[in-house]
Amino acid sequence: MTEPGVVGSERTVGTASGGVGSSGRRRADLPQLPPALPTGNALDLLRWPVLNTVLRSRWPQLLVRVAALAGFLIAVLTGLLGTPVGNHNLGIVLVWIAWWTIMMLVALPFFGRGWCSICPIPMPGEWLQHGALLTPRRNGAGLKKAWPARFKNIWLQNGAFSAVAVCSAVVLTQPRITAVVLLAFLFVAIGTSLVYERRAFCRYLCPVGGFIGLYSQLAPVAIRVKNKATCVAHTEKSCYRGSADGAGCPWMLYPGALAKNTYCGMCMECVRTCPHDNIAVTLRPFGADLRSPAGRRLDEAFKGFIMLGAAMVYSAVMLGPWGDLKMAAYDIGSARWFAYAFAVLVFINGVLPGLFLAAVSAGRALAGSTQTVKRSFIAFSYALVPLGLMAWIAFSLSFVFASISYLWPTMSDPFGVGWNLFGTVHASWQPYLTRSVPTLQALVLVAGFTWSAVTAHRIAGEEHEQRAALLQAAPVIVCCFLFTASLMGLLIA
Amino acid sequence: MRAEWGARLLVVFGTVALAVLTAVAVRVPAGAVELRGRMADDGGWTPGAIVTRVGEPLTLRMTSDDVVHGFAIGQSARPAVDLLPGTWMTTTLIFDRPGKYTYYCTRWCGPNHWRMRGTIEVTGSGARVLADSVPLFLRLKLDLDQAHPSDALPAETPTAARADGLPSPVAPDGGDLRTQSPAQVWRALRKHPVNARLTDQQLWDEVAAVWRAATSRERLAQGGQLYRDNCAACHGETGRGDGVMAKALMAGTAADPPGGEHTGMLGMSGHGTVAPTDFTNGRNMLGASAAFLQGKIIRGGMGTGMPYWGPIFTESQLWALVDHLWTFQFDYESGAGSSGASRTTRDSASKPAMRPH
Amino acid sequence: MKRSRVVTTALVLALGAGVIAVAPLPGATAKPANRHFRVEASSFKYIPATIRVNAGDHVTIDLVSTDVVHGLYVDGYDVSVTADPGRTASLSFVANRTGMFRLRCSVTCGAMHPFMIGKLHVGRNELLWRALVLTLFAGLAGILLARVREVRQ
Repeated sequence: MTEPGVVGSERTVGTASGGVGSSGRRRADLPQLPPALPTGNALDLLRWPVLNTVLRSRWPQLLVRVAALAGFLIAVLTGLLGTPVGNHNLGIVLVWIAWWTIMMLVALPFFGRGWCSICPIPMPGEWLQHGALLTPRRNGAGLKKAWPARFKNIWLQNGAFSAVAVCSAVVLTQPRITAVVLLAFLFVAIGTSLVYERRAFCRYLCPVGGFIGLYSQLAPVAIRVKNKATCVAHTEKSCYRGSADGAGCPWMLYPGALAKNTYCGMCMECVRTCPHDNIAVTLRPFGADLRSPAGRRLDEAFKGFIMLGAAMVYSAVMLGPWGDLKMAAYDIGSARWFAYAFAVLVFINGVLPGLFLAAVSAGRALAGSTQTVKRSFIAFSYALVPLGLMAWIAFSLSFVFASISYLWPTMSDPFGVGWNLFGTVHASWQPYLTRSVPTLQALVLVAGFTWSAVTAHRIAGEEHEQRAALLQAAPVIVCCFLFTASLMGLLIA
Repeated sequence: MRAEWGARLLVVFGTVALAVLTAVAVRVPAGAVELRGRMADDGGWTPGAIVTRVGEPLTLRMTSDDVVHGFAIGQSARPAVDLLPGTWMTTTLIFDRPGKYTYYCTRWCGPNHWRMRGTIEVTGSGARVLADSVPLFLRLKLDLDQAHPSDALPAETPTAARADGLPSPVAPDGGDLRTQSPAQVWRALRKHPVNARLTDQQLWDEVAAVWRAATSRERLAQGGQLYRDNCAACHGETGRGDGVMAKALMAGTAADPPGGEHTGMLGMSGHGTVAPTDFTNGRNMLGASAAFLQGKIIRGGMGTGMPYWGPIFTESQLWALVDHLWTFQFDYESGAGSSGASRTTRDSASKPAMRPH
Repeated sequence: MKRSRVVTTALVLALGAGVIAVAPLPGATAKPANRHFRVEASSFKYIPATIRVNAGDHVTIDLVSTDVVHGLYVDGYDVSVTADPGRTASLSFVANRTGMFRLRCSVTCGAMHPFMIGKLHVGRNELLWRALVLTLFAGLAGILLARVREVRQ
């Protein structure tokens, strides 16, 4: 009998989810990890006929993606042609308020990389690659080169996100800059599609994808195979190579071995190509992926620090009362900006990981760990994933509810030329929920810390027995508490 | 196959629709002039000059591209229009007489706010709109740049009410009064034998009473409003020359420039800036006549940083403002029991007639 | 049987969390006073950036804009005022809610306008203290529950 979906390090075919670098050391003496939930009928969302039709059919996805592309182009056009006043420009408001809200508060926590399945940015490139809008054909354009092995990680995305982060004060407030950045994404994505295979841009270059991937490990929705034996027996591997019904996995994953959400873009190609209907869209508890020690990597660990650090920096710069700091962040090219950028980069890439490393080392000393420092550091870094997501949600709550009312006038006059489509063009700014937001932020951060503490404890339990696990986890949890307290200090103090 | 073509049709249609939408959006309505306002350092009004014809409706679609601005026509009674960043206001102007009109910003938008001006050249037949009749200071050939310290100073603030009941041989005369400084009038009172028994301070109170009699509550209220809207930012709400813009004026660079990109504002006006006049300084103010003050306001400071208001204020507005300036020296309010004798206002110079829409 | 132990533990912990979240604390002792502040607004900061008052104080803020038209909006109190340079504007209210409230600029004044922020502290910031204690408590509670569940298995 085969066990469905048991996680653990195993030999994989082709490029698998984060498979590069996962070592195969077995620990027979350690407690068995709880098996991933069975993908039997009860938890497979594709059991529902409506969902099954909607997700398998290419039309709903295309329509939503085309609508998203229209929204994207409208954001670019209004950014380029509309008023230069940021808070009255639909491009700025659509991207940094509307889209960001939906992403941070809904899409990411509940659907992981769900946004990637409808993202318009790689779509024109994909059309060219597939030679079609709907069912891909084999004669598409593009050189289909393999992505260089040395860049098969998320370090480029870590760098890209850090670069955008230190320029965010300008990007978020200048419509022309936002439009140019969006267009740059679009053209780089199209260019990449014409040179490299599949969705290389999404997997290895997109700064958004970098953090969506990491936090998608927390989401309750996941694509997994139902029965591994079926995969083993199936030699064509249509899910990876493609078939008449669809392309091979655009994310360069082998669905048969998919154990984590990190790089799965939920595009449903594998669901369409598998001739044995062996792929399920499963519903499972939040954070199930964190339970698996397989596939933990240093680049992902650093992503966690970059994101957590960026949440702290944004909370300080954008929501803090320090005007000089804001001007330093805005004045790109000046001496004070260089000082600011340097300080931020050192903070998120050096100070935070450094503090965390000290905590991990202390725990190792207390518990007598036999793992390498690097392996412990990487493993425990995943305990920061829940806190990081909650930090971003907490930050976004304040920013979003204070600014969402800018949507009403901008929707009535998208191009900033004096229209009044919905009669709201003169609606004045009004922040919402200012009495409740601080409490919501506090609750979100409490939840984040609790989740991280429990995760740290569980990660410690992968190596140690009860008491030692507690000793190993304790300094890490203290470090998490310090991070949480800092966020609370910045957001609600 | 059909589905594929259907999908392609959808995308093509969507693209065309978006292109059409954009083309419609960026088309400027025919006949309207699009007027964009920015802080003076960043370009001011665009365009800075407009040409139109007598009797032709001129439709302006206006917006602000950075901060709160306002739009008004100089020497006109039409109310100002606030321009909020990112929003559009439309107004239509019709000019009855040819000439050069000035439009200007009415909400303070930085130290160079007053430089945010443009001109509307109205061509056509008819009597050109006159500049105000030659201002008094020119007729008197006053040297506006000459120092004018007062040779006498009151010990306390001259208070008009205290002068009630005191005889005064000097009858208030509108025309004459505006050419004389308070110090001159006081000196004349002091010399007159009838006043020999009055103290210096009582004579100053007389001067205050004379000055009060030459104005009215309405004029003072109007002058106060004009001062708050146009002068207080530099000269201070208390008239001490310590307004919020004073620092920027003196430093040579705008304090905390918005956006952090601006260079010093005084690159535009040259050198020689001085601190805004302190209207509470008696030595300075009591030696100046109303004509002198009016002249300063009309002409501006010739590189000192003081704007020229000639194209902006009407004659009656100017006199109302000057009347208000005296309240920094004289107390018209305390111990008010008698009503100040109300004087008729001076003739207002002919204004260009405009019909606001 | 062990399951009931998990449930009991969970309920007790939830009760503890509830106490931390809503248990009333002794009230403020300072007598309400009239407080007057002069706040200078420039792009893009307030000086002073932080104002502290006691609960119940009658607060008056004179807003002095130093470059362009600015506004000041008080989170939680939903009051605001606008000031042109040269025209100080006054905002008065009674500080009957305690905690930290952001002051936001309410008039578009340039690129960084949405981030022009100050802070008003009224009395004690109970939310912060409760949140910190609750954080500690919840973290420990989470681990305790996890261990009780492990034992059960």
